[in-house]
Amino acid sequence: MGIRNEVYSSFIATGTAPGADDVAGALGLDENAVAVAFRRLHDAHALVLRPGTTEIRMLNPFSAVPTPHRVEAAGRSWYANCAWDALGIPSALHTDGAVRSDCPDCGEQLELEVLDGELVRGAELLVHFVVPARRWWDDVAFT
Amino acid sequence: MLFLRSEEHLERWLDANGWEPGASMSAATLNELARRWWRSRLEPDWRPRTAAESQAILDQVGLSGDFWRLT
Repeated sequence: MGIRNEVYSSFIATGTAPGADDVAGALGLDENAVAVAFRRLHDAHALVLRPGTTEIRMLNPFSAVPTPHRVEAAGRSWYANCAWDALGIPSALHTDGAVRSDCPDCGEQLELEVLDGELVRGAELLVHFVVPARRWWDDVAFT
Repeated sequence: MLFLRSEEHLERWLDANGWEPGASMSAATLNELARRWWRSRLEPDWRPRTAAESQAILDQVGLSGDFWRLT
């Protein structure tokens, strides 16, 4: 199994992002080589590391840190990085899913549900992009 | 980007933060985008898309115009 696939498999199973040492142990690889691979995946926008480290912050569409967007699917739950990623988790897993988030204006909980790929609950809610598409990767945590 | 309850809530939130409006869509449209954007992400042979491939997905759900140009 490749490094990227091992990272996703581990994260989906545990909800915790593996370190380079964990992946190295699972695949029988050198830890430094895995750290280099993490940086290469970061540069390719395949995952996002904390600045100056090899700690995974985002494993898109999953978030390795708590966010306002919680997704339940296939009997498990994870955080998503944003609204788009929250709906991306059921898509990536090819399964149904439920999203809980909060309206940033009033603080009320918002609930959405994806069933057979269709948004059957919460379809009337709005999503707003502050940042134009060509600048999304200037600061991918703020779009 | 975030989910908001309605246009009224969006306007208040933008005013409170002093942000200019960007672009809005319904959660239903975002779900269509998410379905196309993320469905191959966990495939073992996944590779990052080219900008043109990503732009084509935005176009498929009707997100065209300068705000949605990736390059």
